[in-house]
Amino acid sequence: MNESGDFLDMLKAGGYRFPGANLPDRASGAGHTFHPTEGTTILAFRYRDGVLIAGDRRATAGNMVLYDQADKVIDIDAYSVMAISGSPAMAYEIARILEHSFQYHRRRQLQEMSLEAKLRRLSLLIRDNLPMAIQGIGAVIPIFSTYDRRDNLGKIFFYDALGAQFESTDFSTTGSGSPAIRGAMYYQNQWGGRRFSEMDREEGLGITLRLLHTAAEYDSATGRYERTADIFPTIKTITADGLQDISTDELRAAMGRYIESGEDV
Amino acid sequence: MMLDEPYRWAEAVSNRRDYVEDQLQDGSPVVGLAYRDGILLLTLGQGQQKIFEIYNRVSMAGLGHPTDLEKLRQAAVDMASSIGFNYSEADVTLQQIVHFGLGPAVKTSFDEVLRSPYIVQILLAELDGMDGENTFYTVDYDGAFYKSENWATVGGISEAGPLMNQQLVDLEPGKLTLRKALDAALTAWAAGRWVGQLEDIPNEISELEKAAEGVDLKGILKLELETLEVEAVVLERSRPGKEKYRVLSQEEINPALKAYRG
Repeated sequence: MNESGDFLDMLKAGGYRFPGANLPDRASGAGHTFHPTEGTTILAFRYRDGVLIAGDRRATAGNMVLYDQADKVIDIDAYSVMAISGSPAMAYEIARILEHSFQYHRRRQLQEMSLEAKLRRLSLLIRDNLPMAIQGIGAVIPIFSTYDRRDNLGKIFFYDALGAQFESTDFSTTGSGSPAIRGAMYYQNQWGGRRFSEMDREEGLGITLRLLHTAAEYDSATGRYERTADIFPTIKTITADGLQDISTDELRAAMGRYIESGEDV
Repeated sequence: MMLDEPYRWAEAVSNRRDYVEDQLQDGSPVVGLAYRDGILLLTLGQGQQKIFEIYNRVSMAGLGHPTDLEKLRQAAVDMASSIGFNYSEADVTLQQIVHFGLGPAVKTSFDEVLRSPYIVQILLAELDGMDGENTFYTVDYDGAFYKSENWATVGGISEAGPLMNQQLVDLEPGKLTLRKALDAALTAWAAGRWVGQLEDIPNEISELEKAAEGVDLKGILKLELETLEVEAVVLERSRPGKEKYRVLSQEEINPALKAYRG
């Protein structure tokens, strides 16, 4: 019997093998250079009511555009999302294990998993995925955002490929488009007149659309809003009331205001 | 004991039945019924949780030995989570959980007369299954299971069942509000309680029904509510997201209890 209440242990007892931890020795990566595959732009920042997380929708392979409707911001539970840059196959597997782990723990142990434990579960999965990362085929470097109901505070955590976890105080961005906007985010937060933490939802939305637009301008692997295709980036907020998607209608209106007519945010 | 002799084995099983039924007779009944917006599960107890979330649309309740109930609950959660992950959420059905999980586990334990049996009666509910129906299963201490639609009860002893069901059989789930469902569930619970506390239970069901005619179910609830608390859970169709399990708050239950209090 599985006294620990750990979901992955239960799965393994039933014969499940985590793909990342299961590569043969000769593929240990010796002689390879580590190049994380991360064609995307993900960003998250703390605004007045919690956390806002956004990601573009493009999936690429080399310089080919594979898909323009990928979801890179994945719901994990009612208060948490994982935004992914990197290999979608492993990222979705990790997100799926994580989502089930949190639910399983709550149902089985009859108590919600603590935030510390949730973060630890994600760290362990990323570390288990290291062989994939080293080979350059399956690195997953997520941003995990959540609302801490104990501290009444939105929180953002990012990871390296070995599973080390860091907390961002103000904002975080990752993916191939991130170099194009990291400086812009820093500038906005220091001297832009309004810090992210002072922004309301509407301001946050406007800034986010502009940042993603900027990333798409300089990074071919970041998808951009095309009026003809009517595909919008994924944007979500997490507040004391939980996780909320920003609807397509709202995005369409905001896109008109902040990108096309260039209103002040 | 020479259990390799068939007669001895049958005798041992029979003794086991008497022993387990004796243990279960005092258990607080559990009622499950479909109503307009989902499924309601209800029981009365002393504050210890008896109704549990198994998966997104599946809930389980029971009576009997708390540790036995706990073991089976965990087994059900394990099985449901494993199917949900390896297949999909839609594949997690009561049929899977009961026919291939709980039923065989309870029966094995009951048949192996050198091991202690599970002293439990379980009621499981599934909201909007594969064909859109609301399914209930009950699993008895010997592993026998029964499937039903729209409502189900467990009452500790088998005689309680028919009397509890009488209170539910005429209901129309599609029209039933939560308030009306709570009323019906409370009355059905009281009917089960009454049978469970009888000194002598008539052998014939017709005699039992006759004896039940004059019984003041309202009075039973009034008395029991002085010491017991109502535990009620809904699987609520309108609940956003995949997880439909929600514990009803005391504020939601209290209006239905007014008639029995003060």
